Amino acid sequence: MDEPALIRDARHGDLDAFNTLVLAYQDIVYNTALRILGDEDLAADASQEAFISAFRALNSYRGGSFRAWLLRTVTNACYDELRRKRRRPTSPLEPETEDGDEVESPRWLADPTASPEEQLDQAELEHAIQHCLENLPTAFRTVVVLADIQGLDYTEVAAVVKKPLGTIKSRLARARLRLRECLQSFRELLPAAFRLEEERGL
Amino acid sequence: MTTLSFRDVEQLSASLDGQLSQAEKTRLEARIQLDPALAAALVDLRQARAILRRTPKRRLPRNFTLTPKMAGIRPPLPRAVPALGWASAVAMLLFVFTLGTNLLGRLSFGAAAPLMAAAPMTNEGYGGGPAATQPPVTDNTQVIPTTEAFVMTPPEATPTGETRLGGGPAATQPPATENTQVTPTAETFVMTAPEATPTGETRLVAPAATPATKSTPEPVNIWPYIWLGLAAVLIAAALLIRRASVQAFRRKVGGKHNT
Repeated sequence: MDEPALIRDARHGDLDAFNTLVLAYQDIVYNTALRILGDEDLAADASQEAFISAFRALNSYRGGSFRAWLLRTVTNACYDELRRKRRRPTSPLEPETEDGDEVESPRWLADPTASPEEQLDQAELEHAIQHCLENLPTAFRTVVVLADIQGLDYTEVAAVVKKPLGTIKSRLARARLRLRECLQSFRELLPAAFRLEEERGL
Repeated sequence: MTTLSFRDVEQLSASLDGQLSQAEKTRLEARIQLDPALAAALVDLRQARAILRRTPKRRLPRNFTLTPKMAGIRPPLPRAVPALGWASAVAMLLFVFTLGTNLLGRLSFGAAAPLMAAAPMTNEGYGGGPAATQPPVTDNTQVIPTTEAFVMTPPEATPTGETRLGGGPAATQPPATENTQVTPTAETFVMTAPEATPTGETRLVAPAATPATKSTPEPVNIWPYIWLGLAAVLIAAALLIRRASVQAFRRKVGGKHNT
């Protein structure tokens, strides 16, 4: 993929070129939004909004990491969504069991290629991580999602959140510290295989 | 064993990501070997990071590619747009021209109307109401020799000898033919033909009752209608071409996004 050429064409209004970029980055954009917002529908809306905003604001892109620029757009969309959510809190429409309890990991969200045990492990791990992420302040959550979940380096994270490297280091350390404490309470729920890997010192 | 400061945690976290300088890294490793709390904290942080890196990736609920509508892109203008522009301008000119000629035609035709309408107004004075307020004219020398005077002057010809309103006597006077020479209009004929009023009572002039009126057929100007029709055809053609091009664009874009 010739990214600079696609960006140049997209700047001239070539929607096909921009959609090629969308296809390349939509996975990371959606998953970042999902981890920040913790809601699939909101994440999908924020992702779509981010791509629309990105297309309209392509002329403001001044080079550098396009991925970081795009993630900055989706991060801003997530912040907007969180502000809206705070103003108008809603109750989630989770599916319910026969007893009326909420199903936290609906069957249709599971990966059909994984075995039932793997699906359960993944669901528990995801639930624990999402719970701990949501207990973090938004600024810390964003940094840890970008650095540890999406694998961006410090420079890219700094470009996304528009903060100096020192701030990124500090926020990441605080976020990891809090997550460590939070995840320890879920340790029994985490997959056994995963615990063994951790003990070997990954 | 020492209690960990936030600075220590920050350094441990940065060391996991290789963000320390060589000197900082060496110094930290030396401290970790001496301080089991630092080593335990490093393991905890590494585990936390490893768990986060294992976060399952969710499959996308849908594609986030943009449609032209989302991107705010309008359908491209058809190639015939310049021609359509000129056609629209021509159509507009034709329309204005047609409208103008129609209006001018009506105005010029209507300009003659007041002259003709003036006759019944004056005649009405002698043949109807206003004359009733005037005293009967008996002296010819006092009458101003106007067209109307010819009508008013012969009161002595009244068959009954009584004072009559202006309409009656004039109607019985043959000199009214002079009137017809001055203003040879239909209304004049009305004034000169009151023989139908044997009682000599005052009558209003009724142009509809003029048997001598002959309407000459007005020539019909068909050009305005031709221009108007042409303008309508041009506008319809422009709209059809525009619609066809938009539909073609939608088919093209729809096909692309469905594939």
